[in-house]
Amino acid sequence: MKTPTARIAPLHLSRTLHSSFHANLRVPRASVVSKWLRSRNLTTAPALAQEAVPLRKHLKDEAKRKKAEAKINGVAKKLKTDPRLEKWELAVGIEIHAELNTECKLFSSGPTEGSDGVANSRVAFFDAALPGTQPQFQVATLLPALRAAIALGCEVQRKSGWDRKHYFHWDQPNGYQITQYYEPFAKNGTLTLSASDGVPTSDLNGADSIGIGIKQIQMEQDTAKTTHHPPSTYHIDLNRAGHPLIEVITLPHIHSPQTAAAVVRKIQAILRSVDACVTGMELGGLRADVNVSIRERGTEGTGSSYSGVSGLGQRTEIKNLSSFKAVEDAIVAERDRQIAVLEAEGVIEGETRGWTLGATETTRLRGKEGEVDYRYMPDADLPPLVVGSDLVDHLRVTMPELPDETVDRVERQYGVTLKDAKTMVDLDDGDRLEFLEETVELVLRRSGDQATDQLRVGKLVGNWILHELGGLLATTETSWATMTITPVEVADVLVNLQNKQITARVAKQLLSTLNDTSTSPRPSVDHLIDEGNLRLRPLSDEGYEVLAMQIMDESPDMVAAVREKGQKGKIMWFVGQMVRRGEEGTVEPENAREVLERLLSD
Amino acid sequence: MRSRPLALRVWTAQTNAHRRAFATTVRCRDVTERDSKGNIDVGKLLSQPTWSVASLLPAKDQQPGGPEISSKQLHHLLRLSALPAPKDAAEEAAMLSTLSSQLHFVKDIQQVDTTGVEPLRSLRDETAEGEQEAELGMEAMKEALGMETVRGRYHQRIRRRRRGDGVDGESEEGEKWDPLGTAGKKVGRFFVVEGGKDG
Repeated sequence: MKTPTARIAPLHLSRTLHSSFHANLRVPRASVVSKWLRSRNLTTAPALAQEAVPLRKHLKDEAKRKKAEAKINGVAKKLKTDPRLEKWELAVGIEIHAELNTECKLFSSGPTEGSDGVANSRVAFFDAALPGTQPQFQVATLLPALRAAIALGCEVQRKSGWDRKHYFHWDQPNGYQITQYYEPFAKNGTLTLSASDGVPTSDLNGADSIGIGIKQIQMEQDTAKTTHHPPSTYHIDLNRAGHPLIEVITLPHIHSPQTAAAVVRKIQAILRSVDACVTGMELGGLRADVNVSIRERGTEGTGSSYSGVSGLGQRTEIKNLSSFKAVEDAIVAERDRQIAVLEAEGVIEGETRGWTLGATETTRLRGKEGEVDYRYMPDADLPPLVVGSDLVDHLRVTMPELPDETVDRVERQYGVTLKDAKTMVDLDDGDRLEFLEETVELVLRRSGDQATDQLRVGKLVGNWILHELGGLLATTETSWATMTITPVEVADVLVNLQNKQITARVAKQLLSTLNDTSTSPRPSVDHLIDEGNLRLRPLSDEGYEVLAMQIMDESPDMVAAVREKGQKGKIMWFVGQMVRRGEEGTVEPENAREVLERLLSD
Repeated sequence: MRSRPLALRVWTAQTNAHRRAFATTVRCRDVTERDSKGNIDVGKLLSQPTWSVASLLPAKDQQPGGPEISSKQLHHLLRLSALPAPKDAAEEAAMLSTLSSQLHFVKDIQQVDTTGVEPLRSLRDETAEGEQEAELGMEAMKEALGMETVRGRYHQRIRRRRRGDGVDGESEEGEKWDPLGTAGKKVGRFFVVEGGKDG
């Protein structure tokens, strides 16, 4: 039986309510406001001898009124669509820089973790660019990079090269960054997105999913970390200098800001699932740059093209977006700015722009004349990277499940809803899903010869692990890692519940007790049930009726409410009272409800 | 096969050397002097230079063959290379003339016909065996693959084993040095850079 959820007015209704509250109150209502008006002698209505209605009730009544109004007008709540979008089409390309999950840096043996975050403690000679130091490719960094390429469907190139990108900045000790400009190690991948990933229907064009092309993936070095101390001092920490990054470059197949944010989210999820990039955007481990251009629908824009996609307008680049929301908001702001410029007969310049959180427009960082000349050249110190096809095949075969596949499998095998499946896969680094699967197998095994439907069991176990255990962890402020409950115990509890040996209320209690118990020794679930005398001793029909009559006698007004006013919802209040009054483990809510309905209808 | 006479071999070599790709001067000496026994006087041979780099620069009265460099281009190049701008017009004129002489030399090099030739990036073993050796396959990645475990039995995920996860604590030859020893200016554990206009 579902536990009654807290009754909170939905946020959007209270917001509209708020606006109407401050707008003219056309009908003087018996509320605190009218009292105030009265106190100021600002109404001509006769003074009503009424008490102020409690705010909660007032809010609920307002909400009901608004709903009734909307129904009368037959206006469905539609999203405000910008009419300019009918004329202008957006094209976005994204470049994602993600930190690889490796033990040491890309070209030196400097460690990437440890030493407790002390600044400048994980720096090798090459990272500090001491004169005479040479780069040495660390082969272990190839594994996460290859897995990322395979997971994004790219073709791994057998031979790729290393190039120098020259520019002077205090976070670049060498004066150049080693990257793969001419020959990246992976090309031509695809990313598939569907509506459940957040793609709006306007982009799907009736299909189930869209494919975003990935132009290439390349490996490169990260820069050092700088912190600004106003007015003009910078503190440099070389711990991050030389850390391996992959840059994922998509083609301009993205046509809306929501899709762009969905692409970044999806790529982060995929990279995390193959253990290639495990630090997320919030921690600065993944950064996105977007290229935005617009064109009039039906035209070829300014005729620009990018890597085979032609008919685009002039693009501008927005650098260093560090959250999904920032990606979406920045694209919306830039699109609107470009539309405004083009509609005023202006010309878009190819410039680099920046975005700060909470801004309404992007800011110009660099124009075309300030464009940096990177003087790319092959790095003579490094041999070309040659990747063996046996390694690529091995990694492809041993690739772990990608998030899409996992969600699909959980839905199919365990009957969990799509939303719950997505949540489960993301939680606790996949450990919660592992717990679910183990518990389901244990429950099926212990259910013995009863014809057990895996879907039904899966749904039950899924609900308990996601919602009940989740709720328990939240209230007791325990984290999943420190939780002491084992799959065996949960399976035992749920088997007992299934066999109607205990009620749901008792089951929750047991879990709570188990959570509080220390690791050893742990009593078995059956032991706990017997000890606490929690086994369901089903009440006879007579017993139900007696208890029901008792409660009905005590509250005649509630009985009247149900019988005369037809408020069927009040029956649940009676059920709750019966469960509370009856002995622990005797009253079953379903039976109680049946009995009450019978008694209250005559 | 009977070898050709020494004199003929020397003469052929010297004549072919004439056809060096970017030589602009004529060889001073055509034939190396030999004594009656046919030996070369090494001391005498090495006492006079036979070639000078001046051959690569334009002659005094010759116009430099390279393109005209504007002052704007010069300043752009100096900024790209983080070099200081010229102090006055005289220094700028000197820089421009040096630059155009160097470009004359570069133009000479560019006369070489390189159709179908891949640019050399560095001297490496480009044989098939060399590539085989450099290939990163299962064998080369064995150690790295050994540093990973599979987490979970039902929902299997690959995880890299981190330091402190049963992996050896200190790396064998961790470079123990203090990077801040190279700092010109520092505050605590950070390098300090002045980002102002004079910095």
